[in-house]
Amino acid sequence: MITIHAQYQSRFREITRVPAETFELEHPLVSELAARITGKYGPTMHALLMDSDGENLNTRGTLYLNSRGERVYIEDPLHDGDTIYFMVGIAGG
Amino acid sequence: MQSRLLHVNLTTGELRVEELPHALFERWIGGSGINNWIMWEHFLKHDIHCDPRSPDNIFVFGVGPLAGTGSGSGIKGRITFKSPCYGIFGDSAAGGKFPYMVRFAGFDHIAITGKAPRPVYLYLCDGYADIRDATHLWGKNTAETHTGLNTELGDYPSHVHTLTIGQAGEHQVGIAAVVSDASRIHARGGGGCVMGSKNLKAIAVQGSGGVRVANPAGMLKWSREFRASIDKNEAIYGFKRRGTLGAVEMYQHIGSHFWRNNQGNMFRGDEIRSDNWVKKFHKYSEVCSADCFIACDGRYKIDGSESEKAKKYVGETFRRPEYLTTGSAAGALDIRDWAEVAHWGKVTNDYGIDNQDLSCAISFIMEVHQHGLLSERDIGELFGHAQSLEWGNMEDIETLMADIVFRRNLFGELFHDGPYWGALRYSQRTGRNFMKYSIYGKGGASFTEEMRPFPTWMNNMAVASRGADHLKGIGLIEKFQRRDLSKRYFNGRLEAADLSTPVLKGACTALVENQVALINSYGVCLFHWMLDPAGYAPEEHYGRAFAAVTGIDRTPAELMRDGERICNLEKAFNSRLGLRREHDTICERWMFEPTTEGMYPGRVAADMFETVLDEYYEWRGWERESGLQTASRLESLGLGDVAEVLAADGALARG
Repeated sequence: MITIHAQYQSRFREITRVPAETFELEHPLVSELAARITGKYGPTMHALLMDSDGENLNTRGTLYLNSRGERVYIEDPLHDGDTIYFMVGIAGG
Repeated sequence: MQSRLLHVNLTTGELRVEELPHALFERWIGGSGINNWIMWEHFLKHDIHCDPRSPDNIFVFGVGPLAGTGSGSGIKGRITFKSPCYGIFGDSAAGGKFPYMVRFAGFDHIAITGKAPRPVYLYLCDGYADIRDATHLWGKNTAETHTGLNTELGDYPSHVHTLTIGQAGEHQVGIAAVVSDASRIHARGGGGCVMGSKNLKAIAVQGSGGVRVANPAGMLKWSREFRASIDKNEAIYGFKRRGTLGAVEMYQHIGSHFWRNNQGNMFRGDEIRSDNWVKKFHKYSEVCSADCFIACDGRYKIDGSESEKAKKYVGETFRRPEYLTTGSAAGALDIRDWAEVAHWGKVTNDYGIDNQDLSCAISFIMEVHQHGLLSERDIGELFGHAQSLEWGNMEDIETLMADIVFRRNLFGELFHDGPYWGALRYSQRTGRNFMKYSIYGKGGASFTEEMRPFPTWMNNMAVASRGADHLKGIGLIEKFQRRDLSKRYFNGRLEAADLSTPVLKGACTALVENQVALINSYGVCLFHWMLDPAGYAPEEHYGRAFAAVTGIDRTPAELMRDGERICNLEKAFNSRLGLRREHDTICERWMFEPTTEGMYPGRVAADMFETVLDEYYEWRGWERESGLQTASRLESLGLGDVAEVLAADGALARG
C-alpha cells in the first residue's frame, strides 16, 4: 500500500468539494488513483478526468502534475507520499 | 468561394470592390493569410520603409472562411498593418459579432490606405460602403463611440457593430488598440495608432445577408458533431465558467505569473492568488458571438460588496477580464484589489490601449524607481510634477496611463511605443543604461506571463513575426507536457514535452506556428483549438470544415504546408525591413536572471536559447547564420515570387 495526496483546483474542487484528500493505493499507478477518484465522484468527475474513450486521462483543458512539476499519465507509476495536483490547464487570453 | 475585398482610399475618398479569386484561398486559406498577402502586395507598390503613421501604411481587416457559417467556431476578425510601435509586421485578432457581421454586410476583407482630411468613419451595409464624417465622435472613448454610432444608425437592418479607436489611437500612441463592439480588443502592435494616423475613428457595419458555402450538408454535419463533442466535455464546461481566468490558480501553483515587471512569478495578496476571486465574476455570462459554441465570455457589475475598493466603482459593468488583463494588473503592476483589477481592464479598453505593453511600460518605470535610480529631478523632468510610483497604487497607475494615452509629458512621449523603445529612449536621453529593466522580445513588450522555464515559449518571444508573442507559436506541448502530441508530431519522440532539454523545442515552435497560422486563417478562436474535443490538430479537424465551406479539399500535410507558407510571408515582410538573426532575441532578465519561485526555480533562457534558435532555423529551412530564408525553401512552398522580391532587396540567404 502507498499513500498518495491529491490536491484539487477550480473545476476539480467544485466537484470534490474538498481542496485535498489522501488515498491509500494497492498498486502504485496513476490508473488506480484515477479509478478511485472517478469511482468516488461519479460521472461528472469521470467526464472531466478521463478522455472520451474512458481509457486515458483527459489531455484537453486539464493538467496533472506531481510534486516535481512533471505531468503524469495514466500509465505512470506513483511513489509513496507523492502529491498529484489536478488543475484546469489553459494559457493566454 | 465567394469573397469581396473593399479598397478604401481615405485621401481621395475612392471606394472600390474587388472580387477575390478562388485561387487566393488555395494559396492563403483566408483570414490572416489573405490579409498578409494584401499587405505584401501593397508594399510592392509603396515604400515598405515608410513611417507606419504615414498615409502610405495600410490597415487591413479580414475574416476567415468559417465566419458566419454556423460552424460554431469561426469568430475571429483580424487586423493587419505595419506596426507603429515595433516598426515591423503587425497584426491582431479579436472575436465577437463584428467579424461575421462584416460578411453579412457583403464583405470579407477591407484594405484602407491614405489619410482622411478630417475624422471619418467607414460605414458598411448590405453591399454598400460610405465614408462619413466623424468629427462629432473625435475625443470620445471606445464605449462612447460605439454607443454614439448605434444611436446614429439605428437598428435596421441589424444592430450596429463597430471597430473603434479611443483617445490613445487619436493621439497616435504607438501601442493604441482597436476595439470591437466596445469590449473586444485587437490589442497588439498598434492598430489603433494606424487608424488614428488615418483620421479613421471607426468602422460601423450592419448586415442582413448570409454566407454561401460549398457543401451546406457537410458544414452542418461538421458543426453538429463539433457541438456534440463540446457539450459532453467537462473540461470545456470549466472553461465556460471561468474563461481564461481558469489559469490564475494553475499559474499561481506552478509559478507562471509575471509579478512586478517579472521580478517574481507569483501573485501576492490573500485573495487574488486563489480561485475565490475569479468566482466573483460569476454574476452572469453572455455568449461572445452567435457563432461560438464554447461561449467563455462573462460580464460583471460591481455592487460595492466585492472588495475593499469596490465601493469606488459601484455600478461599473464590463466584460470579465481575461487572464492577461489580470496578469498585467495583479501581476505586472501588483494591484491586489478585485475591483481595481476589473477596473484596469475597463479603462484600458475605453482608452483603446494594449494593456500588455502599457503595464510593462509602467512597471518598468516603477521598478527603476524601486531601485532608487530616479532622483526627484528625474521625476520632475519625466512627469512635470512630483509623482508617486508605488506598486499597486491604482491612483498612480491611472495617472501614468493617462500620461501615455494623451502623450502629455516626457514619460508619455518616451513610452508610448511600449517598454522597449521607452527604455531605449530614456537610456539614450540620460546616458544611463536602463535596458536590464525592460522586458521584451524582438522589441515587443512581453505578455504578462513567466516564460523562463519554458524554452519553446522563450523561442516564440524571439522569433514571432510581430514581436514578443505568446499566440503565434503557443507552447502548449511543452507547458502542459503533452507527451502524446510530442509522439504524434515527432515520430514517437518525447523531448518536445520535456522541459529539461532544448531538443525539439525549435522544431515545436515551427510546428505550432504553422498550425496557428492555419487557425488564424480559418478565423477560428485559438481556445477552440486548444480545447478542441475533436482533436488538437487544426490541419485535420478544422481542415474538414474549411473543405465544406470553400470546396478546397486538402490533406493534413498540404494544410500544414499552407500554414508554413503563411508564416514565411510574415517572415519575408520583416526580412525586407532588415531583420536578421540578431533581431530574434530576448531581454536581459529572461536571458540571464534565474526564476526564484514556483515549481521551476533557477531557470534562465540562456541555458538553451541559442541551441533552440539554431534548431528552429534548421526546421524552417532558413540560414542559421543570418536567419534569412532560402530560395530553395521558398520555391518548395510555391513562393518563388516572394524569393525574387527578397533577392532584389538583398534579404535572401545565399543557399
